[in-house]
Amino acid sequence: MDTLTLALLATLSPLPAFFVALVLLNNRPSMAQAVAIFGTALALLGSVGLLLQGPTEPLRFAWFSSGQIHLQFGFLLDGMSLMFGVAVALITLCVMIYSLGYMAADPGRARYFAMLSLFAWAMLSFVYAVDLLQSFIFWELVGLASFFLIGFWYEKPEASAAARKAFLMTRIGDVGLFIGILMILPLTNNFDLPALLDPDTGLVKLAGPALSTITLLIFMGIVGKSAQFPLHTWLPDAMEGPTPVSALLHSATMVAAGVYLMARLHPLFMAAPDTLHIVLAVAAFTALLSATIAMVATDIKKVLAYSSISQLGFMLMGLAAGSLFAGVFHLITHAVFKALLFLCSGVYIHHFATNDMREIGRRGGRSLGATTLGLAIGAGALAGLPPLAGFFSKEEIFAALGHEGSTLFYIAALIAAFLTAYYTARMFFLIALPDEVVKEHHDDSHHGSPQPIVMLAPIALLAIGAVGLGFFGAAIAAQLGLVPAHHEIASMLPAVGVVILGMALAYFDYGRTAAPRRGFIAAVPALHALFVNKWYIDEFYRAVFVRLNDALSALFFAIESRFFDDGFDQVGHSAIRAGSGASRLQNGWVQFYAGATMFFVGLAALYIGLR
Amino acid sequence: MTLESYLALGLALFSLGLVAALSQRNLIAVLIGIELMMNAASLNFMAFNRYVVEDPAVGQVFVLIIIGLAAAEVAIFLSIILRLYRQRREIDSEHITTLKG
Repeated sequence: MDTLTLALLATLSPLPAFFVALVLLNNRPSMAQAVAIFGTALALLGSVGLLLQGPTEPLRFAWFSSGQIHLQFGFLLDGMSLMFGVAVALITLCVMIYSLGYMAADPGRARYFAMLSLFAWAMLSFVYAVDLLQSFIFWELVGLASFFLIGFWYEKPEASAAARKAFLMTRIGDVGLFIGILMILPLTNNFDLPALLDPDTGLVKLAGPALSTITLLIFMGIVGKSAQFPLHTWLPDAMEGPTPVSALLHSATMVAAGVYLMARLHPLFMAAPDTLHIVLAVAAFTALLSATIAMVATDIKKVLAYSSISQLGFMLMGLAAGSLFAGVFHLITHAVFKALLFLCSGVYIHHFATNDMREIGRRGGRSLGATTLGLAIGAGALAGLPPLAGFFSKEEIFAALGHEGSTLFYIAALIAAFLTAYYTARMFFLIALPDEVVKEHHDDSHHGSPQPIVMLAPIALLAIGAVGLGFFGAAIAAQLGLVPAHHEIASMLPAVGVVILGMALAYFDYGRTAAPRRGFIAAVPALHALFVNKWYIDEFYRAVFVRLNDALSALFFAIESRFFDDGFDQVGHSAIRAGSGASRLQNGWVQFYAGATMFFVGLAALYIGLR
Repeated sequence: MTLESYLALGLALFSLGLVAALSQRNLIAVLIGIELMMNAASLNFMAFNRYVVEDPAVGQVFVLIIIGLAAAEVAIFLSIILRLYRQRREIDSEHITTLKG
């Protein structure tokens, strides 16, 4: 097949599945599932076909031209988009198959699969977009799919509130992104990505305050989408959605769209050192902040959500430190092992109907052997244990940070990696090594098998990825057109050291027999309270922005109701009063009319006579 | 006899008619007042015709038309009054205010 057919197959095939599943098959969930999975499988075929063809020239189609401005749609088929496209399609397909088991009892699953198809279409189109404006359109559509899926159980007030919050918080960043994109237009007259990034004729030659402003505004959008401080608070709340959705959108692919955009525009960011410093600072702070919260959370999905925020911070640090390869490599490995972790957590949640790790452990979480093995692999990869995938990609980030020469950020990343190893191991120990296991005689009949094959197969596939993907670093670098640097064993030692230290500490706190089962941080109650309460950031936002907004709304409401509403009411009322006053003249008494007529005729006669 | 004396008589007739038409509550009295005012106007026409205009025919034509008009008007007015009386058993203008706003 030719490239265009493959590209259309890869991006467009989930779209009809979305319409068909949502409109025609809304009452036939099993057929809707089949259609959605078929659509995504076609997309996977298309993207694999594209990857096998290898990078080619972008395909461009004119959208419209106005004066000197030329807008277009098309497909950018370089190594990065081909790779990420396959990753997105593969993980989406895994999650859809997994959802067959996870959502089996949900009456609304036709809508669920339709929304997943909508997401697949938007995300794949975003990945392959050749035009920055096209990217932005699909970026927003991805956000829309996220909104629908977070609020999938809309009858739960928390879920619909979380959906609104996610939509609004990301919108704050997107305003900046949109302004940034629009600022590019007068400079280039088009949004063609290869042209923008051209080292000789592109935006790079602009360098200076203008480029810094543009990249900073674009970074605002990335902060919103990739849940970086200070807009990160929507992501933990987004865990109200179904667990497979959290796996797909809120850890593996959608939140990574921000990182992907930065990777796409990497040359621009590299030409704006001021922005890079800010990105580094924000990302490092976010990585630390969210790792500390993950350290004390008891809800398994919250741990994974904060961990996602932290790992996204790592990716951005890698990119900002100048290594495109480090960021993209970690993006891909993280997508695989974090999706794996979420899918494993979904099995526990599905079976035990609780999100509390202690509860899962106590009720025999480790009895689900295959899932616990998957959890172990995912946790090891996330912690950065050699030779799992996370180790290699994190190593690249450390190398980039060390190479960049900023000791402060290198140390911050080390601490974050230490905390990552700690909270990951804590999560695993809480589930797999509880101090006591309560035997339950619960009725399995309505659940069926606790680990149906449709749920285990994606876990197995992703687990293989989490184990093996680390060894494909060179291939990924080659796809990006880069040569990976060779690292000395000695330079890896600090990173491996903190990982082992973190896991050992977690074992000391939670794993060993007679472990205290409380984190070392509990020794400092003030810090513990700070972390448990998520640094009071939500409270701060509520106290400042929400109240400010409420006050403004009240003010505007008062102005509207008192001034405009009452004012126009008064105009109406006075017209009515004038009318009823004047109507009193019409008293129905004929002689009164005749007298009035004579009076005015007399006046007129007098006027004429005296003139 | 001068023009002024005719006009004075016309004015007197008109004023009496006006007062009657505006002050009387009985609709028949009102009708009589209106007839008086019309006759005052006719008298003025004839007086001006006699003293001011050479051709005597002009004023007479007007007066004949007024007389014809007055006859028609009386017929309509009286029939209205009759209808009113049959419906309400009274013809007091103060009580006939159905078209009040």
